Amino acid sequence: MTLRLRSGQALRLRSGQALRLRSLRLRSGQVPRSTRIAAIALLCALAVPQPAFAYLKFTTRTLRGNVVTLGWSGTPVRWFATERGVPGVSAAEFQAAMARAFATWETVPTATIAFQFAGFTRAEAFEDDDRSVVGFQDEPELERVLGATGFVVDVTTGEIVESDIFFNSTFNWSAATPGEAGRFDLESVAVHEVGHLLGLGHSALGETEMIAGGRRVTASGAVMFPISFGSANTADRELQPDDIAGVSDLYPASTYRSTTGAARGRVTMNGQPVFGAHVVAFNPETGSLIAGFTVNADGEFEITGLAPGPHVIRVEPLDDADLDSFFDEDQDIEIDFRVTYFDRLLVAPRGGVGERFDVAVTPK
Amino acid sequence: MRTLLLTSVFLLQGALVSVAAAQPAAPGQRHRFEVSFGGLWIAGAPLGPDVAELRANRVPAGPFTLFTTDTRSASAPGFDARVSYWLTRSLAIEAGLVRVQPELRTSIAADAEGAAPLTVTERLDQYFIDASVVWLVNHLRFRERTVPFVSGGAGYLRQLHEGRTLVETGQVYHVGGGIRHTLLMRSSGVIRTLGARFDARAYVLVDGVQFDDRARTHGAVSGSLFVAF
Repeated sequence: MTLRLRSGQALRLRSGQALRLRSLRLRSGQVPRSTRIAAIALLCALAVPQPAFAYLKFTTRTLRGNVVTLGWSGTPVRWFATERGVPGVSAAEFQAAMARAFATWETVPTATIAFQFAGFTRAEAFEDDDRSVVGFQDEPELERVLGATGFVVDVTTGEIVESDIFFNSTFNWSAATPGEAGRFDLESVAVHEVGHLLGLGHSALGETEMIAGGRRVTASGAVMFPISFGSANTADRELQPDDIAGVSDLYPASTYRSTTGAARGRVTMNGQPVFGAHVVAFNPETGSLIAGFTVNADGEFEITGLAPGPHVIRVEPLDDADLDSFFDEDQDIEIDFRVTYFDRLLVAPRGGVGERFDVAVTPK
Repeated sequence: MRTLLLTSVFLLQGALVSVAAAQPAAPGQRHRFEVSFGGLWIAGAPLGPDVAELRANRVPAGPFTLFTTDTRSASAPGFDARVSYWLTRSLAIEAGLVRVQPELRTSIAADAEGAAPLTVTERLDQYFIDASVVWLVNHLRFRERTVPFVSGGAGYLRQLHEGRTLVETGQVYHVGGGIRHTLLMRSSGVIRTLGARFDARAYVLVDGVQFDDRARTHGAVSGSLFVAF
């Protein structure tokens, strides 16, 4: 059964009713209340805890109560672009930047996903029209939201049947190759939103600092980090290992699972399981950082897509972004503990799961 | 394993005292097989420093250090077994097997959120399977029964991670030398010669467990008893 998900009605799902799921990319700064409501709606519907992976995958609960992962079943995914530019970015430049963003995900060698530009359209993003539309929209009330992604999902299978992306034309945008001072790089934000379109949630691989009026990103290790770099920064045009692990797990190439390994374990504090801990695996040979979360009542996590070999495991509290960027606000996320390293090197086998291990963290 | 090595050395010393008298000189015996077995100690080597980096939020982009690591393979005892065939009285070819179990030690520091530095570890089960050439330097023989030699060879490196979760392979090359001391030599019987050999080698490991593209050099010393048939 296909259920339509309509923008702004994300809290209840019943047969025959449309519900739009949205994923938001924020710019640095505090999220205003109106935006938070939208974000909460997203996470209520999407971030249902389940044994987790190198990032959060979007999931939804079927009418029968099963949790299913969202994803496209047919490829190429056809997308339309609105025939409208904004100051600094023409419609043609917008389409070209979007094509590059789609191609960035399409060319991941360990994943199989394909896109096809279907043409310009006068339709708007977030219209339920069986077309995946990307375009600019003027959303001045979303004063911290650069872009957002919504879905139409078959909730019996988790199949995405339509996904739209809008970019908030309230901001200044640039499609210039080197980036432009004072303007956000369209392609960078597009790569992030296309990640959502594929079914990826947010990564927590990043560091932030609190500043007056909000939170500022100091560093990021994934395009799917929920808060954007500043204007003129084009770094998010390039996928990071955590992003690549994510899309490869959703759409694996034939040899992906047999050539990568996984780490599985549990995080505890004072003998009790920790929910919502961020667990990072660092491979000293490749320099890659791939992360996951503890996502169930037992404090268990699983990180997939690891290159075979030894890894350093670092566990940190989820304190570098708003918790509702990752989990349902109602869930009790433990963040009051110190950064802790597993006292052994964890070896990821080729095509399997390493020995299960526990990391005991200590309270701050 | 360290106890085993020390025990081997003491046994060798005891053998030297008891049978060293009035034995003839013993170069390699042409067209004879020889086996040796003994203890070995291999020195540690750095596997490389690394930085866990994020991308800093600045233009142009630059790195942000989440933490740093510095890994080395620790020194370890092991065993050294060899089968030799003497082509001439001074030249032999050898097949060797070395097994050591060094610990990988990764020191973590400079955590961006202030976590205390620490060292995390893992134990490797490491094998060298090699072919070598040994040349006795007969003109440097001293006291008739002690002969220096030089050797060199290449082989296969096999490393099993802890729990045998993963096998990594590579190549191993070695050069070195040492002395052979004859303890017993007979002209008949199954065992023709009994002696001791002491090796010092430099091993160069290529591929296998490594965190950069550079080969690693390990020093090693070994003491073995050899028997020629």
